[in-house]
Formats: sequence, C-alpha cells, structure tokens
Amino acid sequence: MPEPAIHEEHDDVLGRAFDRRLAGRLWATARAHHRLVWGSVALFPFITLLELAQPYLLKIAIDDHILHADWTGLTAVAVVYAAVLGALYGLRLMEAFLMALTGQRVIHDLRARLFEHLLRLEAGFFDRTPVGRLMTRVLSDVEAVSEAFTSGLFAVVADVVTLVGVVAIMLWMDWRLALVTFAIVPVLFAVAGYFRIRARDAYREVRRRLARLNAFLQESIQGMAVIQLFAREAHERAEFQQRNEDYRRSLFTSTRFEASLYAGVEALGSVALALLVWYGGGRILDGALTFGALVAFIQYTNRFFLPIRDLGAKYTVMQAAMASAERIYSLLDRGPEVETPRATRAPAAAAGRVAFEGVWFAYADERWVLADCSFTVTPGEHVALVGTTGEGKSTCVRLLNRTWDVGRGRVLVDGVDVREWDLGRLRRHVGVIFQDPVLFTGSVESNLTLDGDGGRVAVERALSAANAAALVERLPQGLATPLVERAANLSHGERQLLAIARALVYNPAILVLDEATSSVDPESERMIRDAMARLMAGRTTITIAHRLSTIHDADRILVLHRGRIHEEGTHAALLKRGGLYARLHELGAGAALG
Amino acid sequence: MCLAIATGLSLLIPWTVKHAIDALAADGAAAPLAHYVGLIVFCAVGNGAARLASRFAIAGAAQHVAADLLARLYAALQTFPPSAFARYTTGDLMARATSDVSAVRSLVGFGTISAASTVLAFVGALAAMMAVDPWLTVWAMAPSPVLVLLVRRYNALVTTRTHAMQDRLGELSTIVQERLAGMGVVRAYTMEARAAAEFAGANAALRDASAELARTQAHFTPLMGLVTGLGTLVILWAGGTAVASGRITLGALVAFTGYLGYLAWPTVALGFTLALGRRGLASMERIQQVLGDARTAADDTAAGVAPEAAVRFANLTFAYEGRPPVLRGVSFEVRPGELVAVVGPTGSGKSTLGLLLARLWEPPPRTVFLGGVDVTTLPLGRLRSALAWVPQDAFLFSRALADNVTLGRDGLGEGDVRRAATTAGIAEEVAAFPAGWDTVVGERGLTLSGGQRQRVALARALAAAPPLLVLDDVFANVDAAKEGEILAGLRAAAPTILLMTHRLRAAQGADRIVVLDEGRVVETGAHAALLAADGLYARLWRMQRLEEEIARA
Repeated sequence: MPEPAIHEEHDDVLGRAFDRRLAGRLWATARAHHRLVWGSVALFPFITLLELAQPYLLKIAIDDHILHADWTGLTAVAVVYAAVLGALYGLRLMEAFLMALTGQRVIHDLRARLFEHLLRLEAGFFDRTPVGRLMTRVLSDVEAVSEAFTSGLFAVVADVVTLVGVVAIMLWMDWRLALVTFAIVPVLFAVAGYFRIRARDAYREVRRRLARLNAFLQESIQGMAVIQLFAREAHERAEFQQRNEDYRRSLFTSTRFEASLYAGVEALGSVALALLVWYGGGRILDGALTFGALVAFIQYTNRFFLPIRDLGAKYTVMQAAMASAERIYSLLDRGPEVETPRATRAPAAAAGRVAFEGVWFAYADERWVLADCSFTVTPGEHVALVGTTGEGKSTCVRLLNRTWDVGRGRVLVDGVDVREWDLGRLRRHVGVIFQDPVLFTGSVESNLTLDGDGGRVAVERALSAANAAALVERLPQGLATPLVERAANLSHGERQLLAIARALVYNPAILVLDEATSSVDPESERMIRDAMARLMAGRTTITIAHRLSTIHDADRILVLHRGRIHEEGTHAALLKRGGLYARLHELGAGAALG
Repeated sequence: MCLAIATGLSLLIPWTVKHAIDALAADGAAAPLAHYVGLIVFCAVGNGAARLASRFAIAGAAQHVAADLLARLYAALQTFPPSAFARYTTGDLMARATSDVSAVRSLVGFGTISAASTVLAFVGALAAMMAVDPWLTVWAMAPSPVLVLLVRRYNALVTTRTHAMQDRLGELSTIVQERLAGMGVVRAYTMEARAAAEFAGANAALRDASAELARTQAHFTPLMGLVTGLGTLVILWAGGTAVASGRITLGALVAFTGYLGYLAWPTVALGFTLALGRRGLASMERIQQVLGDARTAADDTAAGVAPEAAVRFANLTFAYEGRPPVLRGVSFEVRPGELVAVVGPTGSGKSTLGLLLARLWEPPPRTVFLGGVDVTTLPLGRLRSALAWVPQDAFLFSRALADNVTLGRDGLGEGDVRRAATTAGIAEEVAAFPAGWDTVVGERGLTLSGGQRQRVALARALAAAPPLLVLDDVFANVDAAKEGEILAGLRAAAPTILLMTHRLRAAQGADRIVVLDEGRVVETGAHAALLAADGLYARLWRMQRLEEEIARA
C-alpha cells in the first residue's frame, strides 16, 4: 500500500530546545508587550526571597525558640511566617497572571500575523500545502510558541533565580553540607540528560505521527461520501487504525521516557536527603550544625530539586515551542511570490483592455500550459476563449487576475503589466465567476457584500440580474438565511447563482466567466444571459465555456490549442474557415448518444 | 497495587527521618545513622520503581482507551450521512477527535493516577500522622476543608471559562479553515481585508476568553504554595509548642512537615482531579454524541445477492430539513439495460434523486426501490455495491491517482484502472503526467482541472464495472467533444445508466427521458415522443436548436 501523500517535510523539523536566532525573533514578537514581560520578571527576585525565607524561619523557630521552649518567640516567628505566605501568594498570583497574559497576547499577535501573511501568499502555495497543515500552524503551533514564554523561558529564568538563591543560602549556612548535597548534581544531570535525549526523539515522533493521523482524519471527513458510496469503510478504517496505532505506540514510548526521567530525578532527590541525614547527622554530633539548620537544609534541598526535575518538562515545552516557532517563521519568511510591487503603476484610463503578450506558463510540473500565447481584448469587447479540456483556458484567467504569475512574457490590463498593478485594484477591476462556486459560512447577504461596501440596493439589483431573487425569496430567512459550511444547504445550481450575483455586486470593468454557466439549466441560463447582456454592455467580457452554443454571440472567439491562440474570429468566420473551431462545433452540435 | 507500594514506601521516608533525628537528639554517638540512610535510599528507589510501573500501566491503558475511542469515532463518522456532516462542521469533528479524545485520555490516565494516589496518600499519610500524634494531626488538617471548598469553587470557574474559550476556538478554526480552503475566492474578490477583519474579531475574542481563563488558572500554583505553607505554619506553631512542652519529639515534628508536604499536592490535586474528571466527562459526552449519531453497524454488510439493476421511484416526495419539498410525487423507473436521463432546470431535484437512491440522504419508506426492494430495507453495503454514483463535485484524496481510482478495492488491477480511465476519457492525460498514475493529487485535487477531477471520479466509479451507473451532471466541466466520446464509451461499458443532466444533447439518446420541473415529473418518454408532445422538453430543446441555428447563420 503506497503511503498517502501527506507531506511532512515541515512537520518533523528537528527540534532544538533553544535556538538563539529563533529566540531573538520570538523576543521581537513579544516586544510589543515588553511591559508585561519585565513586570513579571521584576517579581522573580522578590518571590525567590520570600520562598527562601520560609525554611530559614523554620530554622530560627527550631533552634532559637522551640528547643528553648520560648512560646512568645515562636508565635512571633509564626506571625512573620504567615505574612510571608500571604505576600508570596499575592506575588505569585501576579506573576502567573502576567505570564499568561503575555502568552495570550503573543498568541494573538502571531496568529494575526500568520493569517494575514497567508492571505498574501500566492495560489501555488495553497495548491501544494494541505489546509490541515496551515490550520495546525495558525491554531496549535502558535500555542506551543506561547508556551515557550509562559512555561518555558520565563519559568526557566525564574528557576535559575531560585536555584542561585538556594545554592547561595545553602553555602552560607554550611558550605560542607551544601557541597555534599551538590555531589549528587553530576549524577542528576547524567540521568536527566540520558532520558531527555530519548524523550525528545520520542516526542518528535509523536508530533509527526499525530500530524499524519489528523491529516488522514480530516480528509476522511471531507471525502466521506466517496468512502461510503464505494463501500470502502473497512479499508479506510484499517488505514486509519494503522495510523492511530502508530500514534499510540509513539505516545507510549514518549510517556515511558518522560516518566522515567521524572522518577529518576525524584529518587535522586531522596538519595540527597539520605546524604543530608548521614553527613548532617554527623555534623550535629560534632556540634557544627544545629537541628534547625538540618531541617531547613532538607527543605532547601527539596526546592533545589524541584526546578531541576521540572527542567525536563520545560525542555520538552521549549523544544516543542522551538519546533513550532521554526515552522511558523519559515512560513512567515516565505514571501508571497505574487504581491503588489513597491511602485505601482495606475493605468491612464480604466477602460478594460486586456493584452497577453507572448505568455509562457507552466505549473509546478514543468509542462508548458501556455506557450507563446498572445491576444488582445479591446474595451467593451465580448471575447470567448475556446479550447479542448486542459488547454489552459482557466490558466489564462489565473494569470489575468494574478493568482499566478506568468513564466515568460507579460499580461497587460489597460496598458499596465499586471505585475505593476496594485493587486487589490487589479482584482476589483477583473471580476471572476468560478466554475466551483465557493461560499462561506455566514448569511447570504454577507456572502454577497463581501467587502462590506456593497449596499442593499446593489445586492438586490445583482440578485435579480443573476436570476437569484426568487431563490433568495424561497429561503427561510431571505438574505439573512445563514449558510452552513460549504453552503451545503443550497444546491449546486443555487450556489452557482449566488456566486454570479456576488460577482455582479462588484461591478468590475472586466468580467470573466469561467465555465460559470455550465451547471445552470438552459432556461435559467438564458435568463441570466439576458440580464448579463445588459450588464455586459460597455464592459469587457471574457467567457470560457465548453459548450460552443453558449458563446455564439461573442464579438470574437479565440481558439486555444497547444498553449497558444490557434485561430480567432467571429463564430461565422471561424465556421467558414473550416478549421479547429468548426470541427469542435460539429462535435458539440452533432454528438448524440447511441 | 504498585501505587500502594509506592505510597507506602514514600511515607516511610519521613518516618525514617523522624527516627534518625530522634536518635540523634536522644543519644548522638550511638545513632545507627547508616541504617537510616540505607532505609531512605531503599525507599526512594523502591518508590521510584513502583511509581514508574504504575505510571506505565495506567498511562498505557489510557492511551489504549483513547486509541480505541478514536477508532470508534472514526467508524461512527463512516456511517454519517451528508446531513450529519452538514450539522457538524469539519472543524468541530476534528476538535472532538483531537482535544476531546485527549481530555478523555487525561481523565483515564492522569485522572486515575491522581485519584488513586490522592486516596492512598490521604489514607496513608493520615494514618502515619495519627500514629505520630493525633492532636497535631487535627491541627494540621484544620485548614483542609476550607481549602477543598476554595479549590472546588476555583474549578467550577475554570470549567466555565474553559468552555467559553473552547467555543471561541471553534469559531476561529471554522473561519481559518474556510478562508484558507476558499482562498481563490478570497483573492479574486479582494476579500483579504474582510477576511482579516473577521479573523481579527474572532482572534481577539479568543484572546480575551483565554485571558479570562488564565486569570483563574493563575491561582493554581500560588494556591499550592499556600497549602504547603499553611500546613507548615500550623505545624511550626502548634507542633513547635508541643515540642517545647515536651509532648512530642523534634523528629516527629520534622516527620510531620514531611507528611504535610506529601499531602499538599493531593489536596490541591483533589480539586484538580475533579476538574479533569468533569472536563473528561464533558468531552466523553461530546464524543458519545457523535457515536450516538452513527447508523447501526449491522447495516453495512455487503453479503447476500446484489439486487438487480432496476430502479423505481414510487410517488416520492422529499424535503430537506426546514425547506420546502424538492421532490413531489416523483414516479418513474429504470429497467435493467436501460439508459434513463433525468433533465430539468436547476433546483428541480435531479441531484436529490441520486442522493436518495444511494441513501446518502434517507428517503421515506417505500418510495425508492432497487431491484424491487425498498432501499431503506437494504443493507447499505449491498445497496452501494450494486450501484456507482458519481456526484457533481468530484472529491479526490491526497493520494496517487491510481489509488484514487481503485480506493484499495480488492481485485482491481492496473488493467481495470486503465480500462476505466480510457472509458472515462482521462487515460491519455494521465499518461502525459510525468509520474503517470503515481501522480499524487494535491489536497482536494487542486492540481487537476475540474473536468479532470470529474473524469477521475468517473473512472473510479467504472473501475469495478458496476451493474448500475448513476451520473449527476458529471460532464459539467467537460467539453462537447469529450462528452460525446465518453458517453459512447459508457453505453458500451455500463449496462444500466441513470443520467441526471441539464444538457439535452446528452439526454437525447436515452431510452427514456424524465423531465423534472420544480420537483415534479412533468413529462416522460423517448426523445422523439417528448418532442411530439410539445411540452417543457420540446420547449427547452427548441431553445437549444434555436441557439444552434443562430450559430449556424
């Protein structure tokens, strides 16, 4: 069974836990919220100080008061202790909230940047990249990055501050005992290092397999009708189950290493405690150490181990964050191949003139779809583009509104190369009705007034022109009727009609009909064309249709063949000529069953 | 079991420390320090091993449960009719399959571990503390009820805010999914600004909901510190008094702080576990909802004799939920070996006929028959193996073209693929691709043209040589020359064909033509008879003829 084509080249980027370049970029992203960041960082020393005060208060209580049966002194220490607790609670709450808030703001900013960036990327990118993967970037990768701030970077800084404090106070109280305790540190790092590497590899595998599983699931949901119609449920289920099982196995491996790391560090913590009792006990006997100091030491040791133990978890978080950041930035770095040039040129007059000049174009597979294709359309002219399937008719449209850029040659709209146009202006100038009517969730009206400036009047005019007024009236709530995902509550033809109306709302100077009328019945089609005839008056129109009968009233017909204009002329002239068009027409008019 | 051992061993550690300290305090030099140290190390290692074993067992079990749940979810989705996919969005279903399944995994795994260790810790630590000093135990536990109450309130807040956050996340992901999938339209209509604005709105709403949640969750860690601290405070003061008065030893006091430290996590975790449980149960409910919507599994057997390729619609009236009927009293039949064409304007209900026949939507009982059997009583597997329905919107998987045709069906070889592709008129184009049949189709088949996609879908339907072919306007994106060629080939390849089309040319050669208008059959008959009848068909036909005549002029 061949592997399904879920491309994973981006999903298994090797994850280092810290990458200075990436961290720098992340910091640049977070800089907008630097007040929050510094605010929470400023709290670290105070929190550490209060935390370290606790065991020391315990020491004072034991050595100076409890062992001397000094009840008043003990109560005083208890009051101080209570005050420390209260202050610590407040400071920690502030710290946690500031961190979380920073994280959320960074997520928000990154998401917005990513989405806006995606909006600028060219069509080719979306053909190559599954939507599911982009969803992962925008939704989960961004969260992983913010974790770098909240549970990663900040927490590490906080831990380091704590560690330094603990080490300092331990050395100050009894440097010999402290050194004995620290003897365990090399072992600790060895154990942690061993499991950490394995946990990291395992975790990377988990992510990769999860991405595969989710991509498969998403596609299954979208293509479920096909699976059902061909009764392929069992087969697909087996394929899914294999990925599900792969994921589960990798997850278990990952759990095993993480749990081992955790348990190992905890066990070492207890060994350190044993060392304390052994060596500290000896020193108490020598009178070099007080009981209170030993108890405080035990508590400090706990505080010493906690951050080191959690370092593993933080390492994983940082690693995931770095991997996510890498993916996010590589997406952000991928500049759009098609974008508005720095210096745009506005046409002298927006009349609606189109010219293809020696255009060559190939999609990723290197096969020339257009090869030296040249033609012009004069303002107000109605031109039909004809050719057999796969001859590049739709490609011409994509080049015209700069969904793609030409390979060689140039496309001019009103005398200006489309690559010099402001993209937004160009696309408002060239209105396209697609073969595949895509509508979005939201009300019918919001789908028609796409840029919010359509106005009710324009919408209603467009609806009646597109013969869709009756259809909208039939809907339960008229224009306010909500459309579900993929507008599944409308028939294909109804979606088509609304898509036509949408193009009309825009009132473009150049109208392109890409096989748009092919799914509408002849009767409605005729009505639409009557209405369109009025709308097309004085407007440049390029029609792409497979059925030659729908384009007989074109001013000129261009026949595309082998990537260039093979013949052109009026319908009658082309028929008379007896060339390719005449042959196509013969087939179109005469093909019958049986 | 392992957990009990682990708990026992870890409780032994403070006890050992107590004795070590007491021994030191009582008579220093004779204290068997090495003995205590050994015991601590033994306990530590044993505790680690036992805890690890329990983690493996429980986490492993939880991961199994989650994998099984996901498998069941997938199986349930496979039984979903299109109406269910219209009700649940893709993003919603993905959320249930990912975050809800993982919430259940946490419930079973972490929840179980946490609940068990909480109970064990409480029982064990309390017993140990009581053994050391009952009076001090009461003191130490005094703040607990208040804390548990606090934690519960806190968790209720977390749950509500988590829900609010997840709703916002769902909204955002629907926007992202749709805008990205429909990027071509976004671009062509310069909707970028609007899309960005809509996204910004949802994004900000999510940020605010997340910040609300974070504000609540920010209490968590400080609360833990507070719990530990309060315990120590009580011990320090009450215990210190007791030591001062000589009622307990210093070792007992130290052991007490150890036990309390041990209890701190379970005290906070108690509420946390409850929240985890609630969240897991809510997620389970959301998953159950999907599982509950599954059609019965017994329905998909393909065994038994395949029904004959005869179709009959008997007084079929059908309406999609909340919409006026699309089909009203439709009756006609397709006999084996016939080609029947259904023609009619957009919205006349042509596509619905195919959906009902293949039972992608459920027809009313006794209205649609296949081989004389009511399709609603036929096992789905048998029904669908008897017919091949090709919808208007061709869906291709992100797999190799060959796999898109075979769909992994047994017994479909290269020869079948080529033959089907030739009939569907796609063979030559595929052969021209550099990778031929191994060419991988981009997501949703975007690298192919609409016409190419439709023909690959047609080849897929033809590959297994179905007795009945149901075509729903599959030539919409195919030019006339190709259409004629394919139709001629189809007639030879498929014995019985039900063809929905609005192109009268394609319908012309049918044995019978059914003309639908606003959901009703207005005319039925062969091409010539319908022309003679001079009704809607004749009118539509004349319109097309007229176009051709104008064209010829």
